[in-house]
Formats: sequence, structure tokens, C-alpha cells
Amino acid sequence: MSKQQVRDKVSTILFAMLSVCLLLLVWQLAVSGTTLGKMFPKPIPVFQKFVESLTVPIGQYTLVQHAVFSLYRVFVGFVSGAVVGVILGIAMGRIPVIDAIVKPIFNLIRPIPGVAWIPMAILWFGIGETTKYFIIFMGGFANVLLNTYAGARDVDKQLIGAAQMLGANRRQIFVHIVLPASVPYIFAGLQVSLSTSWMAVLAAEMVCAQEGVGYLITGGMNSGNTTQILVGMLAIGLIGLILATLMRYAEKRLCSWKIRGN
Amino acid sequence: MGQAQASAQTKITQPEAILNVDHLTKKFGDLLVLNDISFDVKKGEFLCIVGPTGCGKTTFLNSLTRLYKADDGKILFEGEEIDPQKHDLAYIFQEYSTMEWLNVEENIRFGLKVKGYPKELQNERVEKVIKMVGLDAYRKYYPRQLSASMLQRVVIARGFAVEPKLLLMDEPYGQLDLQLKYKLEDELLNLWQETGTTVIFITHNIEEAVYLSDRILVLTNKPTKVKKEMINNLPRPRKISSDDFINLRNEVTELIKWW
Amino acid sequence: MENTRKLENDCVVRCDHIGKIFGEFETSHEVVKDINLNIKENEFVVIFGPGQCGKTTLLNLMAGLEQTTSGEVNVNGKPVTAPGPERGMVYQTTALFPWLTVMGNVEFGLKMAGVKKSKRRERAQYYIDLVGLKGFEKSYPVKLSGGMCQRVGIARAYCNDPSVILMDEPFGHLDAQTRYLMEEEIERICSTEKRTVVFVTNNIEEAIYLADRIILLTNCPATVKKEYVVDLPRPRSYVSPEFLELRELITSEMDEMDL
Repeated sequence: MSKQQVRDKVSTILFAMLSVCLLLLVWQLAVSGTTLGKMFPKPIPVFQKFVESLTVPIGQYTLVQHAVFSLYRVFVGFVSGAVVGVILGIAMGRIPVIDAIVKPIFNLIRPIPGVAWIPMAILWFGIGETTKYFIIFMGGFANVLLNTYAGARDVDKQLIGAAQMLGANRRQIFVHIVLPASVPYIFAGLQVSLSTSWMAVLAAEMVCAQEGVGYLITGGMNSGNTTQILVGMLAIGLIGLILATLMRYAEKRLCSWKIRGN
Repeated sequence: MGQAQASAQTKITQPEAILNVDHLTKKFGDLLVLNDISFDVKKGEFLCIVGPTGCGKTTFLNSLTRLYKADDGKILFEGEEIDPQKHDLAYIFQEYSTMEWLNVEENIRFGLKVKGYPKELQNERVEKVIKMVGLDAYRKYYPRQLSASMLQRVVIARGFAVEPKLLLMDEPYGQLDLQLKYKLEDELLNLWQETGTTVIFITHNIEEAVYLSDRILVLTNKPTKVKKEMINNLPRPRKISSDDFINLRNEVTELIKWW
Repeated sequence: MENTRKLENDCVVRCDHIGKIFGEFETSHEVVKDINLNIKENEFVVIFGPGQCGKTTLLNLMAGLEQTTSGEVNVNGKPVTAPGPERGMVYQTTALFPWLTVMGNVEFGLKMAGVKKSKRRERAQYYIDLVGLKGFEKSYPVKLSGGMCQRVGIARAYCNDPSVILMDEPFGHLDAQTRYLMEEEIERICSTEKRTVVFVTNNIEEAIYLADRIILLTNCPATVKKEYVVDLPRPRSYVSPEFLELRELITSEMDEMDL
């Protein structure tokens, strides 16, 4: 790294710290000077509670255990949504018949948000884990499908021609050209899908769960515990941030052939 | 940098200089791109700037247009700090920077309109250049309907139409077809002679530089300096197969040959 | 690698009254019309013509990427109906596989043909070295300059050992100086490894520098206007009197054509 880059990096970090401090300061001032303080806890107790709940349970579980519950559900729903989305997306992108049949149905289902499936899912599957997986699945798979579809459909024709000129047959073109060309699109879809899945798990847990970070905030609401709500929200924000970062890192590794951002 | 002597930077000061570039220096971070460049451009002169691929030609241009702020040195246009909004300049770049929401005719008219020229003059100029670049039949087309070479012609026409005091051109004919390139080179010379405009023409193509210029400024590799100024007073119209032409072309080629 | 193909009267490519019409009825557009062409083994044929005259379509017909609407293209005596590995292609846009390294691109054809890894690596390495990219085997195309990408494209085509290599304006996007370099490189590569090459360009200097024979096409629809056998000694000089004479001859021939 050159001196300039180091300087840039340092100033980015400094500004990030400054912005967090500013937020805390505004928070502290707002709740201590006004009547807002009656409904809204001060920052320090929230952080104390946050640290404390890492080991001391809220309800039946500690904060970490709640997070694990939520993450596990996201994992199941997101992965199954991704698998279905990628397979169906590629099939639609490459096989016109499948495209023609599936697209009208998909276009109708797509605008329905994952959370709109909650009542139906509860009637179908009860309030067990299946319902939550289903809601997360419905919240996530559309984005993966759409992106994969776009990627598979719009593979550069010249690249396919070039592969044919080098002797590749249909199967080889699919494996060696269509799939790798779609990877960046698939990743873009996965990224969006992961964040919508994370939103869907919270919605599902707020409605029908006794554990998970979504339960934490509704639990806080039911007992009038604003600190618990904020602890839950803080956890949601942090986990979402970590997931997005991991995703970006994975993309950087897998799509290193493509300079993006950076 | 063995030849950092001042001799390579001989500055010719002209009484009627329209543009003075004075100790221009530009760094990106720790990377020195332009290293103390000084030269003047006479009013009505046709100056070509050539240099090896990857020398700081584009950076130099962007400093002229004030896209980049120079770290040191000045660029004066008629004695004042250069300002694209105030001074009568036009740019013709390599990129096809057409406005997508305007058709060919409106694109060409754009510069004239901005300058607030009367309607009749606008029409007259647009008609003249649209025929010159051979886009008469495409005047109502939008940029997305045109090929790359046609887009480039739109950009060229837009620059020509305003008949500016200083015309800055960066590799404008690089992607054009042979005949069109020859034709537009000659049209450029006509325009230059008719209007007495001053032209700075940046190119990779040495033959083109020798064909067009009054003077050639040869740049070095990064950090870019002026390596040599060459007066080109071959009689016009020039013949590319004449001995004098070939000699000058070889001489310039020797100065920058890296390939 | 020794080229052992022996053919009847030495013709590798034979175009027999080929024509191409795009679209149907009123909207039809004739791009290639009644072209006859015989290309001998190890001949370097340049197809030269103005702008959008149909040169690339002609090449695509030879490649099998487009189908003729009349006539037939034969390679090695067999009619061309689809893309296939006995014809190699080098594209203007490079058409490299961006997710593969230089090595991955060059060995692609052999991999598709099921050649064992050690064997194909060895062969690919030979051609990577030949085009001057030793040390860049593991680089991805995005990290390479335009000239280097074209080197990869050339190595990729060579490595598959096709009967004929079709090059579609491979240096069209490069600047004038890099272009000279690449022309010298093609000259060097082709003298080391003789191949039959069909090279499409709209650059007259490039055509004369490289060609054994130049086929001048008319503007759309493309027909053969004239053929020039170029027998200047190699490597050629861009400014030799013979070179410039031929250049002026061809240019004046083109001026007669309706643009």
C-alpha cells in the first residue's frame, strides 16, 4: 500500500468512528433532555444489557442462542431458496419451453412479499419450523431466480460462438461457458436474497416463535421492556452486517476474475 | 531520467501566444504523471502532441479542461487562467460523449445553443458540418441507433460547429475508417485555415501528426515531460510519400519508438 | 509443430459463389454477393474493404457462425455448415473467457477435445511463449492490456491447430503504436509457425504489411473488386517507396468506390 492509500484508509476509519460517536451523542442528548426518555432507554444501559445477555438468558435462551436459532432458520430457508432459484433460473434462461411455461406463474407470484405468505403458511404447516422455512424460502428465492435467469439468458453470444469454434459441444458449452458466465449474476441475486431472508425470519419469528431474535423484540414489546427491544434490534443490525460482509468476501473470492468495485 | 536537462524543455515564447502552459505538474498520490511541462501555443497554430502509448496525454488533456486540478503550474488562455466555461474552447474526445436524449442534429446544435448564437447562425453552422461529416441522412437518428464511427462523427461535428478559438482534439480519428479519416483530416485543415482557429491535436499516429501539424510536441513516457519540439514546415497540401515527409515521420518515430 | 496436411491443388478454403442475405422480402438486405475465393495452404490473405462493407459477415460465413443463403464454403474439401475446431477464430473484441486464466483460455480447445492435462499444458505453454506472454499464464484477461488480450486470442486459436485461422479486425481497438507492435508480432509468429490465415481489416498499412494477397471488397453488398498480390520482401517497411506506392494505388481504387 502506498502512503496515500494508508492515509485514505485511516481517514475512512476515523470518519466511521466519528459517525458512530455522533449517533450515540445525539441519542444520549435526545433521551436525557426530553420526554422521549420515558419511552426510550439511554445508550449505556442498552449496551450493558447487550453484553450481559450474551451470557444471561432472556426468556429461555441467551442472546447468542437466540441468534443461532434465527441463523439456522435463515440457513435452511435461504439455501433451499437458492438451490431452487439457481436451477429454475438457469433452466428458464436456457430452455425456451420452460421459460414460456414458468414465467407467467412466476411473474404473478413474484410481487407477493414473503411475509404475505405467513397466514397461509400457518394454516398449512401449523406454527412449527416448516412454516418459518417456507416463509424465508418464499422471501428469498425470487431474487436468486431472477438474477440467475438474466445471467443465463444473456450469456455473450460471441463467447458461445468462440467456444463452438474451439470444438465445444452443447454439454461443454453449458458447463464451461453458461455456468461460469452466470456466477456473478447468481451472486448478485444471493446477496439480495440473503438480506430479504434475514428480514423474513424476523417477520416469521415475530408472529410464531418462542425463540430467535425476532421473538426478542416482540417479547420486549409485550412486556414493555424497551431495553430488550433495542438489544434485539442491535443484534439484528449486527448480524445483518456480518452476513452481508461474508457474502461480499465470498463473491470476491469466487469472482476474482472480474474486477468489481474495488 | 538521464536527460532531465533543461535543454529538452526549451520554451519558445511567442508574442501572440493564445495558450501558455507553465511548469504544469500533476501527481496521483505518489505517482508523478506530468513533470514540469511548459510550452506556448501561437494564435492560429496547429500543434500536434505525440508520445508513446501510456504516456500522460490524457492526464494532460484533463488538466487543460480543468477536470483535474494541477498540483503545480498554470495554464493561461489569452493571459487568464483557463476556464472552459468562460473561454471559447471546444473539445473533441475519443469517447463518444453524445447526449443520448438528443438526436444527431440537436447534438450538433447543442454547443451553439449554449453559446446563445442566433437561430439563423445555428442553422447555417449545423447544415454546414452535418454535410461535411456525412450525417445528412441521419439527422433525426438518436445516438443508440448509430454505429461507433457515426457517433464519433457526431462528436466531431459538434466541435467543428462552434468554430472555437481553441479546438482541443484527443485522438478523434482513431476508430474511423480510412477514407473518412483522410477526408476529415482534410476538412479539419480547411476549417482551420478558413477560421484561423488554433488547434491542439493529440494522437498516437505519427503519420497523422506529420500530415496535419505546424509543430509537433514529442512527449516522453511517464513521468511525462516535453522531449522535443519539432517545427513542421513542409509545404501544404502534403504528400505522405514525399522524401521530406518520410524523413520527418521517421525522425519522430525514432524519438518515441517503444515497440 | 509440423503442418502435414496435404490437399488437392493446395486449396484449404474455397468459397464458391457465396452470398448472404439477411431478412426476408422487403426488409431483406444483401450483405455478401457472389464471392469466389480460393485460399492456398500457408497463404496470408487480407480481406480489405470500407466500413460496414460485409467483411465480417464474409468471415463469419467461412467460420460457420453464419450460414450462406447461396453458394458454399469448403474447408479441406468439406462444406462448412456449423462452427468447428478445424477453423480458428480471433475476434476484434477478443472474446476471451473472462473467468479463465491465460492458460485456461489457451488450452480450452484441447480440453474440450479431451486431451490429457499434461499434454495440453505443454502445448499451450509453447504457444503462450510464442506470443510472448511467458509469466502471465495465471493472469485473468481483465488484468491484461488490449494488446496482450489479443496475444492470448492468437495463442488460443493457434493452440487448437486449425487448418485456417480467421482473424476479424483483431487490432481494430488498439492505438496506432500498439498496432504497429502487434503487426510486427503477427509477422514474427507467422514466420515461426506458418499457417493459413484470413485476416479482415480496414487499415491499409496493416493490409500491405501482412498480406501475401489482398482482396479488396466493394461496399455493401460485398463483392470482390480487385486482388493484389503483395510480393514485397519481409519484414516490410511502412515507408518504403514500393509500400507507399501500393498504398496509394489501393487508396485511389477505393476512392472510386461509392461510399
